[in-house]
Amino acid sequence: MNSKFMQFLEDILLPIADKLNNNRYLSALRDGFMVALPLIIFGSIFVVIANLPFLDKLISEDAYAAYQNALGPASAATLSIMGIFVIIGIGYKLTEHYKGEAIYGGVVAFASFLILTPQVLEGVSGVIPTASLGAQGMFLGIFTAFISAELYRFFVQKNWTIKMPAGVPGAVSKSFSALIPITLTLTVFLVIRIIFSYTSFDTVQNFIYTIIQQPLTALGSGLPATIVAVLLIQVFWFFGLHGQIIVNSVFDPIWYALNDENLSAFQAGTELPNIITKQFIDSFLVGMGGSGMTLAVVLLIYLIGRSRQLKEIGKLGGPSGFFNVNEPIIFGLPIIMNPLIIIPWLIAPVVVTIITYYSMATGLVPPPAGIIVPWTTPPILSGFLATGNAWQGAVLQAFNLAVVMVIWWPFLKLLDKNYYETENKETKNAS
Amino acid sequence: MKRILLACSSGMSTSLLVKKMEEEAKEKGVDVEIWAVAQDKAPSEMEKADVLLIGPQMRFMKKKFSKRAEEVGIPLDVIDPVAYGRVDGKAVLNMALELIGE
Repeated sequence: MNSKFMQFLEDILLPIADKLNNNRYLSALRDGFMVALPLIIFGSIFVVIANLPFLDKLISEDAYAAYQNALGPASAATLSIMGIFVIIGIGYKLTEHYKGEAIYGGVVAFASFLILTPQVLEGVSGVIPTASLGAQGMFLGIFTAFISAELYRFFVQKNWTIKMPAGVPGAVSKSFSALIPITLTLTVFLVIRIIFSYTSFDTVQNFIYTIIQQPLTALGSGLPATIVAVLLIQVFWFFGLHGQIIVNSVFDPIWYALNDENLSAFQAGTELPNIITKQFIDSFLVGMGGSGMTLAVVLLIYLIGRSRQLKEIGKLGGPSGFFNVNEPIIFGLPIIMNPLIIIPWLIAPVVVTIITYYSMATGLVPPPAGIIVPWTTPPILSGFLATGNAWQGAVLQAFNLAVVMVIWWPFLKLLDKNYYETENKETKNAS
Repeated sequence: MKRILLACSSGMSTSLLVKKMEEEAKEKGVDVEIWAVAQDKAPSEMEKADVLLIGPQMRFMKKKFSKRAEEVGIPLDVIDPVAYGRVDGKAVLNMALELIGE
């Protein structure tokens, strides 16, 4: 591969990365998920504790049910209704970006979303179904947060105020300053709700879910789209650009929605509907030492590395690699712009995606249970936790590590040989 | 006291550098404060810093950060990928000091 061609590709990729990462909606979306993340992880921890392996065999059925009931609210209040926190986060971050009063942006987004949400469940009115605050409402929530933040900003900028007669204290008329933009914004959403109640969709939530969310998640839950996403992450990283942060800003809503569907099924004890979820990517692909599953590369360096350069990289990148931080490997090996490495770099993740997908599709390994495992969790442990405490998840990760090592072996061997020979020549010349 | 801010996607990989740079600064006898943050925190943290260094994998953030750096009045640059891969505290510290103008 000549350097002109590489330069050409980088000239294309860099602006894409710049656009995707600095787009105000995508960056509000990413930051919105960041706001929700601590709550999501709190919920996940208690799903793991509530489903400890073998506990159901150790204690009586009644005691186990009581135990699960006692811990249930932890995830029901966070993980299962994560849409709420994402929406408030997006409304807040977008309004902050416009230098408005961010907290109003957050609550207006949330209220707008609730206005569009069904407020009836199985004939009982005056309730909000929690399902619509989780996976089902994810896309509606995101769009609502974008639009409400824009409307709020628009009405604030219009600066329509209620003229108070002279003599009314300034604080009183000021108290109306947030009132008017909020009232107008929420009224728009109320009108939207009323219009939709006359259509066959009944609610906006139903409309967005049917028209946008279902087709997109159906596409995103398939193997082809996942392979495309995985390849994109790898290609960006090959040029030294942070692949996940770029690709996730587009795929996260889909992956989180799929994740939440699995969580509901896992907690209800029914069959898990999806294989591809947030955790499929985070634990089984990225969570294997970092993007490109470089923990396998580190282990391979320990096994076959002879050159000083590789040994040094193994020392630098090994410890952080167990926690899925792999920049020393990516920039040190180097993986970036290395024509020899591009083959295993692109092939290994695709092979692992296919193996993982089919081992879950055939029932050998349970699919991810919807638990969000922090991405710095070391492999083996993360596979166990992500699949809802299933040992098969851990075994699959170990097997995948071995597969990646086999794919990398001839290429790393060659790289090592090159380094080793150059080092020997240098020592000879020096003496 | 030189205050050096590092930023990457989540402040993880740059934090590997922080320790190496601190060791190097100690050896050199330079009084520094070095810390690493996630990219979304960088704009607010810049107020407390004398220089901002960006991880090479986040170099597409340079344009956005440049505007903010101008407001705050500090220099910024992207860390050299080779030095980044080697977690080369010496090279990165020197780069930071050079940018500050020492």
